Amino acid sequence: MRSTLFSFSLYLVLSCSAAFAAPEVGQANTHEFQLSNGLKLIVREDHRAPTVAHMVWYRAGSIDEVNGKTGVAHVLEHMMFKGTHKVKSGEFSRLVAAVGGRENAFTSRDYTAYFQQVEKSKLDEVMRLEADRMSNLNFDDAEFLKEIQVVMEERRLRTEDNPSSLLDEALTATAYMSSPYRYPVVGWMNDLVNMKAIDARDWYRSWYKPNNATVVIAGDVDPQVILRAVEKYYGVASARELPERKPQIEPMQKGTKRVQVKAPADSAQLAMAWKVPKLEVGRLDDNEPYALELLSAVLDGYDNARLNRILVKEERVVNDVGVGYDMISRGPELFFISSSMAKGKTVEQAESSIRKALKEVVDKGILESELKRVKVRILSDQIYKRDSIFGQAMEIGSTEMAGFSWKDIDVMLEKMQTITPAQVQAVAKKYLVDEGLTIAVLDPQARQSGESKQGGNRDAK
Amino acid sequence: MLNKFISQSSLVIALIVGASTSAHAILPIEKLDFFKGAQAYLVQTKALPMVDIEISIDAGDRYDSGVKSGLATMAGQLMNYGAKSDQGLLNEAQIADEIADLGANLGISVSGERAVMRIRTLSRKDLRDRAVQLASAMLSAPTYDAKILAREKQRMTTALLESETKPESVLDRRFRKSVYGNYPLANSPTVKSIANIGANDLQQFHKQFYRGDRMTVSIVGDVSKAEAAEIVQGLLQRVPQSGSPVPKLPEFERSPVEPLSQREVSIPFDSQQAHITMGMTAINRNNPDFFPLLVGNYILGGGGFVSRLMSEVREKRGLAYSVFSYFAPGKDAGIFQAGLQTKNDQATLALEVMSSTIAQFIADGPTQGELEAAKANLINGYPLRIDNNRKLLDNVSSIAWNNLPLDTMEIWTKQVEAVNLEQVKAAFQKYLAMDRMKIVVLGAKNK
Repeated sequence: MRSTLFSFSLYLVLSCSAAFAAPEVGQANTHEFQLSNGLKLIVREDHRAPTVAHMVWYRAGSIDEVNGKTGVAHVLEHMMFKGTHKVKSGEFSRLVAAVGGRENAFTSRDYTAYFQQVEKSKLDEVMRLEADRMSNLNFDDAEFLKEIQVVMEERRLRTEDNPSSLLDEALTATAYMSSPYRYPVVGWMNDLVNMKAIDARDWYRSWYKPNNATVVIAGDVDPQVILRAVEKYYGVASARELPERKPQIEPMQKGTKRVQVKAPADSAQLAMAWKVPKLEVGRLDDNEPYALELLSAVLDGYDNARLNRILVKEERVVNDVGVGYDMISRGPELFFISSSMAKGKTVEQAESSIRKALKEVVDKGILESELKRVKVRILSDQIYKRDSIFGQAMEIGSTEMAGFSWKDIDVMLEKMQTITPAQVQAVAKKYLVDEGLTIAVLDPQARQSGESKQGGNRDAK
Repeated sequence: MLNKFISQSSLVIALIVGASTSAHAILPIEKLDFFKGAQAYLVQTKALPMVDIEISIDAGDRYDSGVKSGLATMAGQLMNYGAKSDQGLLNEAQIADEIADLGANLGISVSGERAVMRIRTLSRKDLRDRAVQLASAMLSAPTYDAKILAREKQRMTTALLESETKPESVLDRRFRKSVYGNYPLANSPTVKSIANIGANDLQQFHKQFYRGDRMTVSIVGDVSKAEAAEIVQGLLQRVPQSGSPVPKLPEFERSPVEPLSQREVSIPFDSQQAHITMGMTAINRNNPDFFPLLVGNYILGGGGFVSRLMSEVREKRGLAYSVFSYFAPGKDAGIFQAGLQTKNDQATLALEVMSSTIAQFIADGPTQGELEAAKANLINGYPLRIDNNRKLLDNVSSIAWNNLPLDTMEIWTKQVEAVNLEQVKAAFQKYLAMDRMKIVVLGAKNK
């Protein structure tokens, strides 16, 4: 069903006469299974090359954390490489390397995922290792004490010495009053300092269960063969009741919030974030999230999109500008615009330019041609995306973790194509309002550096 | 948030090939006819209705003079912002809108050695043709509008001033200055050198360097050989075949033996972490010792979590989140570099661990077990290096740029397999030496 509609809409949008065949992909090539222990398996067949991406996704991210133990989801991710009853610390990576595999892991607000990419005949080997650490993780306290130091270095590298990250952290923590989305995924430094091995072990015992996991496998595989292997390796884990998840609904914002961050930098930065709706599970017909996605693309989806054209090229008030919105997630969503100032321009000027550009959308709407342009981008990306087996597995996994089905991806794309300029205008008018706005400003501080004094680079100032 | 920093694994630019276990044959690289003095290559992949095209131009930063450092990059980037086409002048908005309307990606980046234009388009003929026409105009007749130049100079200046506050940028700039010596890549753009660039310079630079005999075209995707030839002709129809001679670059000289006080630079910097790097000149991609160094560096600092540096610095001591080493072998010049970041009060210890790990590896080489493990990874992992169009394009382009044999992908695993212990040890001792290593330590002074 999906390929027909898909090729039809691409045909329509590009409105051209030459025949266009959409690549065969979609539901026929994707298979879903559920094991009796609650583990979900999704297999995407793609026989272009003899490789496979194997991923296990746990539905446990920083959204499941509590104050005082922030960052524990990510810390546990590090500890997952520190050994099981059978595989000692460091062996996991060594064994994956031996079969030529690439591996890594990542933690987000919504989930934690682990992956290996291998030549297809090595899949069983990495699956055995991954399934083993689902149930048998066994690290000692000394390993924890070294690894928590590594995580603190990671936080220093990514956040403490990075003003954009500090700004983003402050913006998020200010915008959300109650939602755990206010915590940084890496955790607050003080929580890391005080974290104990037992905190990581508790997290593992609570959330790393087959009934809280989805295995996604994409590549040159036979789904029935895969199912048997997954049953063999992952089938031995037993389901257990998961901890109760409290709703922690974010209260309605009742006016603009502002926060300032002083950090070493040369230019000021401005970030504005509005509370907006997301797509809710079971309500795929809701127009608003799609309209917000398209609004973000009209503002920032290509080089001549509105904000770049107006703010960077015409008014030259900012050096760069970016827009972010992600319509699917477990927690509440923000629509944000961030920018760094052009030399000699103030954040007040940038804020006023951004507001003017948004008001233009609210008052006059957008052009049919602009919308068509960003829709073409969405369709062509669907084809480009299939160049990467890994990317396909990522898309399936992240969609599932937000509570949707991989089958919904096509429905969402089709729905996106039906959105009108009036609907885009309507969401801009309804949601980009001051009541739900948080503004964060980076106030740049001089950095003490021996280098710039001798570098002679400042002589133009 | 990635747990494991995937270190810029060594000679990754290189290609892989191989093996073995699969029924999938390695796709051949087809050589297309020379056009306008440019070489062109094709790998046909039919599964997806798309095509990736890359044009490499021998017009990298190394042709900048110090007083106008940034010129090559600016000349490349401004090709996006206006060009004369057959149909008339295209301004920057029209170019951007056309790319978007085609559902294509088109961008230009400039590195030390080369400028690279990359195009990704659906393979349907009408869309592909329009993408090629647009690229052709940008390649042959950029307008280099003075107003846009002024704007971009201002943006670059702002970015430069910002980069001075960033530890990794300051470290990198200082390291390049140390390691490249008299070679032009020692220079980095400054506010002053950017100010010196005029629209005339861009025109001049483009005229001198953007010509057929300095270009290589690589194509991967859903096109026949005849269609690929059409693409090459379309792209290059209006570029000149050749031009005035380009002055020879200075010799790339081996890092000299020096006392530590002359090799080590310390930069006081108000950051929580110290950033430390060391390295020296090394080899070109064409060097016969490429494979021993590739395999050896996997063991030393290129093999992610199983490398010696990762084990000593991160696993055993918890000193850093990321630590790496790599060779960056170019066409005409190449370096070796290792680096890490750690909180300030551990900087001395971390530098010591990194230095002694590298020194020991140069002195003793790997163990037989390490060598076997490295070869197993590189050979077994080969298919992952060529399993999509984007990766194939990287490979084809690297083969073409470095003048490697067209069967490079087919013999790659054999060359890895052939590497032995003595070769690794001999190659590391031949090209690396601790008393030649340039060292840069950036961070707050500790007691």
